[in-house]
Parts: sequence; C-alpha cells; structure tokens
Amino acid sequence: MATTVERGAPPDAGTRDRPPPRKRSRRVDRTYHLFLVPVLILFSVCITLPAAMGIFYSFTDSIGFGEYEFVGLNNYLVLFSDPAILSVYGFTLGFALCTVVLVNVVALGLALGLTGRIRARVTLRTVFVLPMVVSGIIIAFVFQFVFSHTIPAAGQALGIGPLEESILADPDLAWISIVLVTAWQAMPQALLIYIAGLMTVPQDVYEAAGIDGASAWNRLRHITLPLISGFVLINVIIGFKDFLAAYEIILGLTDGGPGTATRSVTMAIFAGFEDGDYAYQMANSTVFFLITLAIALVQLRLTRGRTGG
Amino acid sequence: MISAGRGAPSPLPRFSRRAALGTMAGGALASVLAGCGSGGGGTRVSLHQSKPEAIPYFGDLLEQFNDEHRGSIHAVHDISANLSSGFARGNPPDLGCLNYNFEMLRFQERGALSDLSDLEAEANIAPEVRELVEHFPTYPGRTSVIPYSMMAAAVLYNEEIFAEHDLEIPTTYSGFIELCETLQEAGVDPVYSTYADAWTVSQGLIDYSVGGSIDVPAFMDELRDLGPEAGPDAPVSFSDTLREPLEKMLRIASFSQPGAAARNYGDGNVAFARGEAAMYLQGPWALTEIDRIDPGLPIGIFPLPMTEDPDDAGVRVHLDLALWIPEAASRPDEARELLRFLIRPEIADPYNQANLGFGVREDAPDVTDARLQDLQSYVDRAAFYQGISQALPGTIPFENYCQAIVTGQSLEAVLRTLDEDWARLARR
Amino acid sequence: MVLPETRTRQNRDTSPRGEGKKRWSTTIVLLLCSTTVLFPFYVAFSMAFKTGEQAVDGEAFTLPSPWSVEGFVQAWALTDYPRAFAVSVFITAVAVTGTVLASAMASYAISRNWDRKFFRWSFYYLLSAMFLPFPVLALSQVKLTGMAGLANPAGVALLHVMFQLSFSTLLFTAFLRSLPHELEESARMDGASTWFTFWRIVFPLMAPMSATVAIFAFLKSWNDFMMPSMIIEDSSLQTLPVIQEVFQTQFSNNYHVSFASYLMAMAPAVIAYVISQRWVMSGLTQGAVK
Repeated sequence: MATTVERGAPPDAGTRDRPPPRKRSRRVDRTYHLFLVPVLILFSVCITLPAAMGIFYSFTDSIGFGEYEFVGLNNYLVLFSDPAILSVYGFTLGFALCTVVLVNVVALGLALGLTGRIRARVTLRTVFVLPMVVSGIIIAFVFQFVFSHTIPAAGQALGIGPLEESILADPDLAWISIVLVTAWQAMPQALLIYIAGLMTVPQDVYEAAGIDGASAWNRLRHITLPLISGFVLINVIIGFKDFLAAYEIILGLTDGGPGTATRSVTMAIFAGFEDGDYAYQMANSTVFFLITLAIALVQLRLTRGRTGG
Repeated sequence: MISAGRGAPSPLPRFSRRAALGTMAGGALASVLAGCGSGGGGTRVSLHQSKPEAIPYFGDLLEQFNDEHRGSIHAVHDISANLSSGFARGNPPDLGCLNYNFEMLRFQERGALSDLSDLEAEANIAPEVRELVEHFPTYPGRTSVIPYSMMAAAVLYNEEIFAEHDLEIPTTYSGFIELCETLQEAGVDPVYSTYADAWTVSQGLIDYSVGGSIDVPAFMDELRDLGPEAGPDAPVSFSDTLREPLEKMLRIASFSQPGAAARNYGDGNVAFARGEAAMYLQGPWALTEIDRIDPGLPIGIFPLPMTEDPDDAGVRVHLDLALWIPEAASRPDEARELLRFLIRPEIADPYNQANLGFGVREDAPDVTDARLQDLQSYVDRAAFYQGISQALPGTIPFENYCQAIVTGQSLEAVLRTLDEDWARLARR
Repeated sequence: MVLPETRTRQNRDTSPRGEGKKRWSTTIVLLLCSTTVLFPFYVAFSMAFKTGEQAVDGEAFTLPSPWSVEGFVQAWALTDYPRAFAVSVFITAVAVTGTVLASAMASYAISRNWDRKFFRWSFYYLLSAMFLPFPVLALSQVKLTGMAGLANPAGVALLHVMFQLSFSTLLFTAFLRSLPHELEESARMDGASTWFTFWRIVFPLMAPMSATVAIFAFLKSWNDFMMPSMIIEDSSLQTLPVIQEVFQTQFSNNYHVSFASYLMAMAPAVIAYVISQRWVMSGLTQGAVK
C-alpha cells in the first residue's frame, strides 16, 4: 500500500529515466498551478492550520473557548508526570504491538493458504476481505454482544468454566477482546498486501528449492519471507499507525473499562476535550503525534535499510 | 423517548462524551423538532435541553411558547449539540436547561454564563436548593444558573419480595446488612448491580455510601483549601476520608447478583422489573423504564442507611435541570423571555410532576407519585446531599475508578490515584 | 521501484504455485477459518430477525422461529434510517468524487513538473499528512469547521477528501509515471492545451488507478465514525455508523431492534462489495502493490 514511500520519491525515478514530455519552455503552464494550488490551499487550511493551532493552544490554559493565558511548558511538564496519561500510552503501545503481531501472523498464514492450490479460491478470498467493508463501531457493538452474551451462554451450556464470565468485565483480560476485534477488522488489508507480495515471488525460486527438498517451513523462512520482507514492513508501519489511534472499537466494546483498563490515547484526548481540558489534551495530542511520527520514521528507516541494501 | 442502557444521560453525574451522544436521543424526533423551525416567524432563539426522557415534554412546551409569541419570538429545540463543541465553535445555545454539576463549573468559573440575579425574585428558589448551587465555586457577583428541577435518588425495593419474607425497611447500616443476609439465605439476590455501566456504580453504590457517611460539601471545601498541598498523605484526603465508607460499600456490593460485572443499566431495569432481585440502587429515572416492563410492580424507596443512627439517613439529590444563558448567546433578551416562561409555576410544576422531579421553588407543591412520597419528608427537611461523583471535575475519570473498585481493584490503590489526580489538577 | 502491474496480473490468472492437484486439506482449514469471519454476521442476522420475546434473552445460536421483521420496522423508524442513509451517501459521494478529482489533478501537476522545486516540495508537503492521526487535529477542526459554518456533512466530506489526499496522491503519481507518454505528446503536437490533454487523454487513462483511489476513499468515508461524530453539530444529520452509537441507549435491551439497525447500516457496503467483489479485489490489490 505504501511501497513507494520507502523507495524515496517515486516521480523522481521517472523523471530521471525518462525526460518529461515537454521541456522546451522554462515557464510552467498556468494550468498546472491551477491544478495544484487550490488543493494546497485547502490542505493547508484543513490540515496544517489545525495542527498549528493545536500546538499553539498546548502552551495555554484554554478550555476551548473564551480567554486564555500562556502557561509555557506547564501542560507538557504535568503530562509527563501524570500516571493516567502514562498508563494510557502504555496500554495503547502494548495493544498496538500485540495487534500488529497478531494481524501479520494471521494475514500471512491466510495469504499463503489463499495463494496455494485450493478450491473455492474466489469465494474464500471474498469472505476474508469482508471485514474491511464494515464500520468498526458497528462491528464493535456486534462483538460486544458476542462477548457479553453469546460466549458466556455457550460456556455455560458446554460447561467450560473460563468462558462463563464475560471477558469484557475482567480488567486483566478485556484488552484481549480489543486486540481480537481490531485484528479481525484490520486483517483484510494486510492480507491483500501479502497476497500481492506473494505474487511477486518468482516460481522458479520455489522450483529450485523443491529440488533441494527444502521443507515447507524452511521454504517460508529462507525464501518467501526474505523476498516479501518489504511487504511485511509496510504492514507493520500501516498497522502501527492505525492501531495507535484506536478508538471506536474500544468505545463499542469496553468504553475504556473496566475501570481505566482499556483507555486509549485517543479516548483520553476526546474525553478531556468534553471535560474542558482543551489545552492539556492539545499538549497530549502534540506528544501523541510526535510519537506516532517517530515510530513511523524508525520503521521507514528500517525498511529503507532492508530493501535498499 | 426514554433512554435506557449504557450511559442513560439524565442521572449522569457528569457531562461525559457518551452522555452527550446519548442525549442526542431520537434523530427522528430531532428532525421533527428541528422541522418546527420553519414554522412561525420571529426572532429565533435556541433552547439546549437534552435530557432524553424530557425531550418530547419540552417539545410541547416550546410549541406552547411559540404560540404565545407568534410573530415575535420563535424558539427552537436543540437536543443535539454537545456543549463543549458548541462553546468551542463559538455558537453556544441561547438558553441552556441542563443537569447542574461540576461540569457547569468551568463555564461558570470563566464567566461564560451571564448574570441572572434580576430573575431571582421571580424564580423564588428555596434556600436549601440554592445552597446546592453554592456547593460549587460560583462566579463572584453573579447568579449564573437558576435551578429548575431536583431529583432525589435512593434504594428502590420490591415491596412484594419484602412482604413475602416479612422484611421491614432498614434504618441502620447493620440492619441493612442483616436484611441482605436474610434475603440471601432465602435464595433471593438482595441487590441488583450493573457494573458494566460505570455511571450506575458511581451514582448508586458510591454516592449513597459516601453521602450517607460524610458531609460531602465540607469535605470538598477542605480539599480545595489544601490547594496544591493535596495528596494521599495530606491531612485531608480521599484515601483517609473515603476509605471507611467505601469499605462498607464493598460489603453491600458483595450482596449483588452473580455476574454483575457484565450487566448494564438496561439489563438492570429488566431484571428488577421481573423481580429478580429485592433492591436496586437507582434513581427515579429508572422507574420510568421499569414501568414500561411491569407497570404494576409495587416499588418503594428508602435512603441507604450508612450509620447506626436512623436520623443520619438522607437521600442523594442533584439539580437535574438548571437554566443558564451564555454570555455569548446571540439572543439574550429572547432567551430571558423563554426562561421566564419556563419558570412559571403553572409550567414548572406539571413538568416536575410528570418527570418525577421535585420542585425547586419555595412554594413548590409536594410530589404526587406514590413511590416518591416516601422521599418527600427527607426533601422537606433537607436531609439530602449531592453525590460526591457530582463534585469532581470530569478530567478525573471518577466513574471508571468506581467501576474499578467494585470489579476487584484494590480500594487503597484507587483512592491513592484519586488523591494524586486531584493534587495534579490543583497544581495546574 | 513499483512492481509492474502486468506481472501481477499474469500471476494471478495462472494457477499460482505451479500445477498439480488442488489441496482439500488447505481448503478445509481455510473454510474453518472463514467461520470466524462469518460468525458475527451470523449473530447479527439471527438476532435481527427475531421477535422481541425471542431476542430478550440474548440467545444467538438458534435461528429465529418464527422469522420476524419487527426489529427492522422499529429500527427503521427509530433511527430514521432513510435520512441517515442519505447523509452517509452524500458524504461518501462527495468524498469519493472530491478525492479522485483533487488528487488526480494535483498528482498530474506534480508528476509533470517534478524537476521544479515548488511541485516537488508540494508532493512532500501533501505526503506529510500520511502519519497525522485524526485525533491530533480533531479539536482544532471542531473549532474551525464551526467558525466556517461547516459543522455539517459538507464539512466532513471536505475533511475526508483532505485526509485521503496523501495516500491518493502517492498512488496517482506512481501510476502516472508508468503511463506511456506517446498519446500525451501527440496531443500536444496537435496544439492541445494542458487542460484539454489532462481531461481528454490523461484522466481517462488513469481510470484503473482512479478506481483504486475511489475504493479506498469509499471505505474510509462510508465507515468513518470519529470525524462525523466530532464535526457534525446537528444529530439529525449524522451518518449511519454514528447513528448506531447515538441510539445505543434507545436500543436498550431490544436486541432485535439494535441488530436490525446494525444490519441495515452494514448492508449497503456489504451488498455493493459482494456484487462487485472481483473488481474491488483487483482495485484493492493494485493499491496494495503500489
């Protein structure tokens, strides 16, 4: 999905290989500006300006309206010593990590299966991509019911003790339900990327390996995985970005509970806003953005190192 | 248009995001109401009123108002907007009619609400009700809100079950525990709890047990006086003051039905209406829900006794509705006109009667609902308190902490966190 | 280095992983896995068609008996389904059209002027939003849309376009590079303007990638919850996903009503997907490869 990012600027390569169609005039055709500038202006107003506002207000004590005063770095200082904020970050990072691992293992496994010699390929693929087309909040409500009614009922009927209690009501286990449902919904996207990736692996490589009598596991580890490593990293990057912003699935499943066991950063930001903690949550947002960006950059670097070398 | 289920808004101690969304109630209804906007001419004035149970009622009231002011003022019903966003967008409602709690404080504190002192005489608010407003820090020299409706909550009990087991209403804490034990021995679940909805825990178990044990406003005043010195080891702290009441609360909570952690408000109403438990710690808003399932169920109400002195008992009250006009209102004069219309006794009294609220005027009539009459004497002699959950700023996730306590987290640890949160807020 | 599209095509059409007997064992394992995907849909389906009495105890395994549309009737009226559906369709249609047009135009300008600093930096500028999570901007956007009179579905559609720009521009620029330039050049020789060349020649050639961009924009916009719930001021103008949340308290324990409502909210996208799944799948895969 974002393969091109890690290879640097895509159009760059293009222009180098192949000169652009017209290079005779030094002046740019006005039409190009007409195509680009309005988009840039809208983008700046809708994206850049709010980001700048957010950073600005994070140095104030604004409650979202009315007068405010500058408080310097106070919001940030309090933020870093606030255990509630730290635990929210802890939960979010841990949750994102678990989900990324689960999604990728499942999606890769399914992709291997779906590109193998199987029957009903089209039907199966259609089914596995289905979660992608439904809204997260709705699916969270459905699973909320499944976890709090259907599974405990089945547990009672079959006499399976641990299933009789709703997992959502257990502060120590509720996060698992969030990982499962998020993974359920995010899996198709990773699956499609893996299917695309597996199709780029040339057949003859396997044939050569087949002659050597390599086992399926060794083939996967030593041939397939290195060849699709770029796709793995893309999935990890996209996954982290999406899961760090987790909100609606948690809202539908546990609403951050029991207690504060499953509160995510996004939930804290929104809740703070409703409660008039505008400036403080702006500081939180800014930090959150920097963390998201840092994680993405580290991963991009890794990708570049891997595929470039 | 009755709300049930997760985050039923009216009894919500705080104006959470969930409540804000929940209070949006019927989109269908909203459209009908919004549709009224095109009807009459005149200056448009908006009323923000989002208590879901009362939305149709206020819709009718506005119609009446618009009829009276045909051609000059036209009031529209705004049930949707959440308050923070409205203020942030710079277009708050002209007149607000909402639950009065700590959340209003930040609007009040920053002077976002205009002075209504000239209307005080007309509103004729009972002194003990006015005192409830003053439990929160107000904006100096201003009357920022005018109370409209007060709700009293206590323990609902199933009279049939009580009669069947020959039980009397307990007036002491030990009596209450004894009663629970008797019920349990008889195979009846004494209390129905719904921990999956955090607000039901704070509203019921927590507020009743704390309010029945300590003087909440005095405690909060002491805490505020500490300023940044507050903390778990300060002379006054949550850890110290709330510990005993909440330990008693946990004893009561242990009489809940099995699996309470996975049950929500909707489940609770259904179960109590079906006679699955003897008692239910909910406010009068739940009566409306229970009526829908079993209108004939004989229900009584009594305050939760938390001490050994029967005279200590009191009921939990909150200002379910209070009126205010933002400084930034675009039509303050018309908003005043609408406010005066709403506080007329012939408008306000029937409202409270229909919605199981207590009147706030000095000369307000008694409640007529038979079940609520059990509480009238407490209200009359001001044997009531505002829940502690109402007194904490929304930035402290108090409801979630309450949920954590009853679902097995260490009470000590949660209270310590609460103290630290409070201290951090004071330092900001 | 983007993989040539032709290659993936070929691979997809021939039987992957060589010839030989199709394996039943893998197929069966996959079928079993697919039940995990289908189970929640089954639950929603079986609950939605129950009567109030059947639904109240929350038993999801048994199929409804008798089947009833009571839940649908109630949910339809309670949530004012047609209105929410219309709002969702409006937002999604504007967002998809806007995303395709805005990013196609911007990408064309960028890719044909890559040697100029302004265009090159514009590309990086647009790309920078790729890792900007919505919550970071949400509160400011609530303020700004309010001031601009856009605290409504139109504002949400505009923001959807803006959030899709980064990714869509990335896809389009990559695609434009692989596009043969001959047609474009011959049009220029004939004296066609840039405007004409783009709309008559280049844009139609971009159709396959436009489809991909459109599918992604559709999925993001149709299923979005956070943004409409924050931005739209009037709850009667909320989208289908948000309506489900708004009505949680109203559904109460009427599971048949809530599940009927969920089903109705999910149905349009699911039906559209199942009908056009081959086309959607190739579009999504293309997006994945790029």
